[in-house]
Amino acid sequence: MAVSAQMIEKDLAELWKSDPGEKTKIIGLQRVYTTNLVAYASDHEEGYRADLIMNDLAEKHPGRYILIRPAADKSEAPLRYYVLGHCFFGSGREKKVCCDLIKLVAQNEVIENLYGFTFSLLMPDLPVEFWWPGDLPYQNVYFDKMAEQSNRVWVDSSKFKDPIQSLSRLSAFWNSRYPHTLLGDLNWIRVQRWRALIAEMFDGEWAKYLKDVKKVSIAYGKGTQPTRSFFLACWLAAQMGWKYKGKRISEFPEKFEFEGPQGEVEVVLTPVPVRDIKLDRIFAIGLTTDGNQPALFTVIRDEDPHCVTARSEINQRVAFTRTVTFEHLQSNELLNVGLKHMEPDFIWKQTLQVIGTVLEKPDLTLV
Amino acid sequence: MATPILMENPLRQGLFADRVPAPCSLVIYGASGDLTHRKLVPALFDLYEKHLLPASFSLIGISRSKISDEEFKQGLKVALKESEPQLSDSLWNSFSQNFHYMAGGYDDFKTYQALSQMLDQVDQENGTSGNRIFYLSTPPNVFENIISNLGAAGLAKEEKGFARIVIEKPFGHDLESAQELNQKVKEVFKERQIYRIDHYLGKETVQNLLVMRFANSIFEPIWDRRYVDHIQITASEDMGVGSRAGYYESSGILRDMFQNHLFQVMSLVAMEPPVAFEANAIRDEKLKILKSIRPFNENTVYQWAVRGQYGPGYLSGEKVPGYREAEGVNPKSNTPTYAALKIFLDTWRWHGVPFLLRSGKRLPKRTTEVAIQFKQPPNLLFKTNVSDLSPNVMVIRIQPDEGITLKFETKVPGMSMEVRTVNMDFRYGTSFAEGTSEAYERLLLDCMLGDATLFIRGDEVEAAWAALMPVLNHWETTEPERHFPNYEAGTWGPAEADNLLEKPWRKWRRL
Ligand SMILES: NC(=O)c1ccc[n+]([C@@H]2O[C@H](COP(=O)([O-])OP(=O)(O)OC[C@H]3O[C@@H](n4cnc5c(N)ncnc54)[C@H](OP(=O)(O)O)[C@@H]3O)[C@@H](O)[C@H]2O)c1
Repeated sequence: MAVSAQMIEKDLAELWKSDPGEKTKIIGLQRVYTTNLVAYASDHEEGYRADLIMNDLAEKHPGRYILIRPAADKSEAPLRYYVLGHCFFGSGREKKVCCDLIKLVAQNEVIENLYGFTFSLLMPDLPVEFWWPGDLPYQNVYFDKMAEQSNRVWVDSSKFKDPIQSLSRLSAFWNSRYPHTLLGDLNWIRVQRWRALIAEMFDGEWAKYLKDVKKVSIAYGKGTQPTRSFFLACWLAAQMGWKYKGKRISEFPEKFEFEGPQGEVEVVLTPVPVRDIKLDRIFAIGLTTDGNQPALFTVIRDEDPHCVTARSEINQRVAFTRTVTFEHLQSNELLNVGLKHMEPDFIWKQTLQVIGTVLEKPDLTLV
Repeated sequence: MATPILMENPLRQGLFADRVPAPCSLVIYGASGDLTHRKLVPALFDLYEKHLLPASFSLIGISRSKISDEEFKQGLKVALKESEPQLSDSLWNSFSQNFHYMAGGYDDFKTYQALSQMLDQVDQENGTSGNRIFYLSTPPNVFENIISNLGAAGLAKEEKGFARIVIEKPFGHDLESAQELNQKVKEVFKERQIYRIDHYLGKETVQNLLVMRFANSIFEPIWDRRYVDHIQITASEDMGVGSRAGYYESSGILRDMFQNHLFQVMSLVAMEPPVAFEANAIRDEKLKILKSIRPFNENTVYQWAVRGQYGPGYLSGEKVPGYREAEGVNPKSNTPTYAALKIFLDTWRWHGVPFLLRSGKRLPKRTTEVAIQFKQPPNLLFKTNVSDLSPNVMVIRIQPDEGITLKFETKVPGMSMEVRTVNMDFRYGTSFAEGTSEAYERLLLDCMLGDATLFIRGDEVEAAWAALMPVLNHWETTEPERHFPNYEAGTWGPAEADNLLEKPWRKWRRL
């Protein structure tokens, strides 16, 4: 029998009737929905990870979760589904909070066409967050239709096989193709804390040094793509009004230049060997100025692997140091941070525009 | 609202933490005390971890205890470890690098001169730009001394940067002393420099009262005498007086809870929509409510006010002593540890609607909530007895388990027309991943930002005292109607409180 949305809703209703609370002597059970989150996994492995992450997220953002993943076995039915109740203790402790997770497992020939089916399963009136955990696809109908209908699409550019092409494509087509849908990148959220630390060194009377920045040096973990380092450099350019002046690039260079209001600003990306590559791919960042009073602003990983230290030196005298905790964020934590904020991230939009001016133009016939 | 720091530093834009205060120094008087260790420094640490503490920030602790900078910091670190057991040395050292301590008497002018020099030096070394906050965290008997000395030392002047003063509760002991303190502080500081703390206003759900009322259009039309039967505001505590017996003996429940917290919550529930979400616009509206409280007179003080004091009893199955047996309490004390007031607001909106306020110590549990009880439907279609009907109630839970519940009637599935009451429940803790911040975190941040919305203005304090004075005077000059203790620890207070309800369908909520 073909699977229908009514069947799934009926199963869910049954599930909630057999109150799991009764067995564990819990006084009440409360279903809470704050969002719809749809994830599309392109392979089995990705599906497995997305499943774990969604389970974890449900506790922080209770909602309707829908996971689409390919079938592992060709002989299985074209489409199967599972419904799961996800319950946990809320802060009050005396009540269990529950929400639901629908898993659709489909054969390759149908999976891309499940967008209509997904729409029918969404909770009305709640935002739709669409998470694409893998590489940016070309001509994927599911991606395209969901991107049109969602409030926001989440990608993770650290998972892009060709980050330059993919970022360049996103920069070129997103606004025109999906004008009503926000674009979020988990990799951009990873740089947020670096941004905060850099920013706070320029508060108050130190703001005046910003315009004199002449060089930005970023050290990143050897053997990885410097996408995040590149984000930081383009973010600085976007906020400071620096314009890219070189040739468009097709691979991440070691050096490139922007033209700022006070002259040229050089960006240097240097790979360095690091002990634990998982911690983060940015190791340190330094901003050097050449005004009347030469100054150096740095954010460097501390000896304590959970901390980083921001420090500024003006005229070779330490003006400011601050050490803060800096844990590596997993995808579930990044999504958690992202989902908390519904408003458009204009700074990301501007940064992506700068990225579009630096990278080689994409082949838009393939979008 | 873009803060100046955001405009100067473009890199701050778009960071989720975009309410960043300008560089400043925080001077805490009474820094050797409990509040600094348990609340203020942990709140500062949370702000620091969230990148909300300005990059250039220094803390100067002042009190009489003769301890060194290092001992002061060590004491703070030990206290912080209680809430942050993972705190590493490098993190602590970085957080506390600009913390200093100065020992001195609160009445010794030399201390203020030395402080002035120290602040100038800190400005130079740390870039704190001449911005200062003076936080009075001492017992109130030294407030006036500190204020006048700050004035004499020129520390209230705003020449280079801002100068603000934060005054802890209690603000005055009665109307007269509050007026005096207001006058003293206004001789030295302008009203816009003064931040009178009521930590209840820093609580997320209290602020949400404003959002709920004025960001939704469905509640406001029924928020008045036509639809509301009465409003109950409860703040109950299961704790006794503990080590605060000395303070409590001279204050009692009305000063401790009503004059500030309960009256503030009542004003937010009852006020008219402000013209802007801005400190003075909101405080103007709250003031109107406090001024509209119908004055208690010789008769109504009997009818509308009930006092109580707990005797021995049981809490969570354990025997607990009565108030009079606590250390530092007069064995014949008549200090009330419980009060219930019926308040009428003489406004167009609330005419005839009683606000039933109650608070007490050693009640069965710790809860603060506002319950708006609506009127019965005019036509009893489904029930024959008025007493069978449960009225609609909207409950705003302030603590613990912050949230909102709406109680309404539904049909029980089946052939008969059976009606049952159900709850529709919203809980902060389950709908938002973000935990609610501690009140002091929010209040310290707002003070650094110069936002006084969640602080109390001088005229509000006086209006609250003025409303309460007849009850205080009466209680302090007469014996309780029934001999104290009149309620057992672990129960919901004296039975007389039921006399305030007046109508058969009104009941104190069982929480
Ligand atoms: N603790 C709380 O949770 C809390 C909650 C709400 C409001 N408050 C208010 O916040 C303020 C501070 O509270 P706290 O609990 O930190 O108070 P505290 O520990 O009793 O006093 C703070 C400091 O003031 C000094 N002090 C004590 N008694 C004094 C006296 N008679 N004369 C002059 N100085 C004296 C002491 O320092 P030295 O002896 O070293 O000078 C003490 O360390 C009070 O106004 C209180 O009402 C506290």
